[in-house]
Amino acid sequence: MKTKKIVLPESEMPTQWYNILPDLPTPLEPTLHPGTSQPVGPEDLTPIFPMPLIEQEVSQERFIDIPDEVLEKYLIWRPTPLYRAYGLEKYLNTPAKIYFKNEGVSPAGSHKPNTAVPQAYYNKISGTKKLYTETGAGQWGSALAYSCALFGLELKVYMVKISYQHKPYRRIMMETWGANCSASPSPETEAGREILKRDPDCPGSLGMAISEAVECAVAEEYSKYSLGSVLNHVMLHQTINGLECQKQLAIAGDYPDVIIGCAGGGSNFAGNCLPFVRDKINGKDIDIIAVEPTSCPTMTRGPFAYDFGDTAQMTPLLAMHTLGHNFVPEAIHAGGLRYHGMAPIVSQLLLSNLIRAISVPQLETFKAGIAFARTEGFISAPETNHAIAATIQEAVKAKEEGKEKVILVNWSGHGLVDMAAYDDFLAGRLKNYIIPDEQIQNALKDIDSLVKPWQYRG
Amino acid sequence: MEILKMKTEKTNPDDDYKIRCPRLGHQISFSYCLSENNGLPCFMTINCWNDHFDAEEFLRKRLSQKDWEKVFNRPPKPKVVSLVELIEKAKKRTMDKA
Repeated sequence: MKTKKIVLPESEMPTQWYNILPDLPTPLEPTLHPGTSQPVGPEDLTPIFPMPLIEQEVSQERFIDIPDEVLEKYLIWRPTPLYRAYGLEKYLNTPAKIYFKNEGVSPAGSHKPNTAVPQAYYNKISGTKKLYTETGAGQWGSALAYSCALFGLELKVYMVKISYQHKPYRRIMMETWGANCSASPSPETEAGREILKRDPDCPGSLGMAISEAVECAVAEEYSKYSLGSVLNHVMLHQTINGLECQKQLAIAGDYPDVIIGCAGGGSNFAGNCLPFVRDKINGKDIDIIAVEPTSCPTMTRGPFAYDFGDTAQMTPLLAMHTLGHNFVPEAIHAGGLRYHGMAPIVSQLLLSNLIRAISVPQLETFKAGIAFARTEGFISAPETNHAIAATIQEAVKAKEEGKEKVILVNWSGHGLVDMAAYDDFLAGRLKNYIIPDEQIQNALKDIDSLVKPWQYRG
Repeated sequence: MEILKMKTEKTNPDDDYKIRCPRLGHQISFSYCLSENNGLPCFMTINCWNDHFDAEEFLRKRLSQKDWEKVFNRPPKPKVVSLVELIEKAKKRTMDKA
């Protein structure tokens, strides 16, 4: 009988996280304080984060010990299984070996507890009694609610009002784990009251919910704030995923030629691939692919170049992935993966050519998700479907090339509370649109004459 | 790959038509995106909706040049900077209250 899944014994679960910062070929640029223009220091962040997390944010230690108390909690669902996708391989008739790392087995159903648990722990040992956070549909809020329950911390979640009203299930999950959840904007904070005064029916936004959470964390003694993506310490905590994968693939006698993950804020992608990026820096030949969660084509089809930040050409030149300043959607898309919410670590890997990014049209992602569900059984989160779609593309390519490639995909979470999106797909309510190459090439002529940055990629 | 269709719709969809918001993580109607940003559109609006109708043309007609620049042409801030700004605002609110 063939081995379907590789399950590490608990004794083999990694006991350290991997920190890529000391291995980055190009260090991250320091973040400057908006008021002083000096690099942001620990004292700027202590009102909302405990010191151990701030230290991890800037640490140059390559490996950081996972505290015993965190390891103990990780064992509730970790090590997570690595599956061989025989069903999908057969369906695609591909010579590729497809492995998927199932992060959907956590109590919250996704990879997010990998960082929520240590964040709750470090807050607990630092004297925090109550955490504040914000959430949209509740993926992060539910992971943190679960984690706070494990360590006896109080949690208040400001949930965007429109999500609060229309997505009850994750709110109920949060409340089941003991969190207190309020619709944002709320009358509980100055920020919320200001908004409600202007617009009593305001449906809220993530920006408003963050303002409320931070205000409470700053104002109340023994309270802090928690964020589930983007920051370096979040990427660090997620690396337990990739470190487990390295051990599991060694048991299988394989090593990945291709690694694929969907990249929204970057944490699930980074968690899976960073330990392999280290191998790549040290000479391994791996194709590491971040799949964009929207149809934004910038990372895929635009060069990295200096461009004006605005169509009026009034702003300083900004180094960015660009389709040219006269290409109208560019102004939005140039911000896409790199600037709007993507982790700086992931952005830098892209600039250093250690990873690449692709985008997949949404119809293809849902087709992929359906194919995966019907061959492997698991119903994926819509974001995860982007990674599956890219996996299918790579597996088909392997077939065309006649190569037995090993593909590792991060299956970041299940979609069992996301069935409305599947319903839209199955009912035929989704469409695709793609920008013609000719339109992009015409727009790129506009930046031909501009000076090129040293990391220029044409 | 699927044959990709060019957009043909010119009008914005009504509230029954919803697509997945990559920021919130659930289905959302266009009217929400249109005022998500303190009454202005979410910076992702065109990116998300141009697949479904000509959102760019719709917004160009609706927004002043100043608002267009504010929403779509301003380089976004790194997350840490946004957090530091929020901390400063929160400190000020707390001091004002005291």
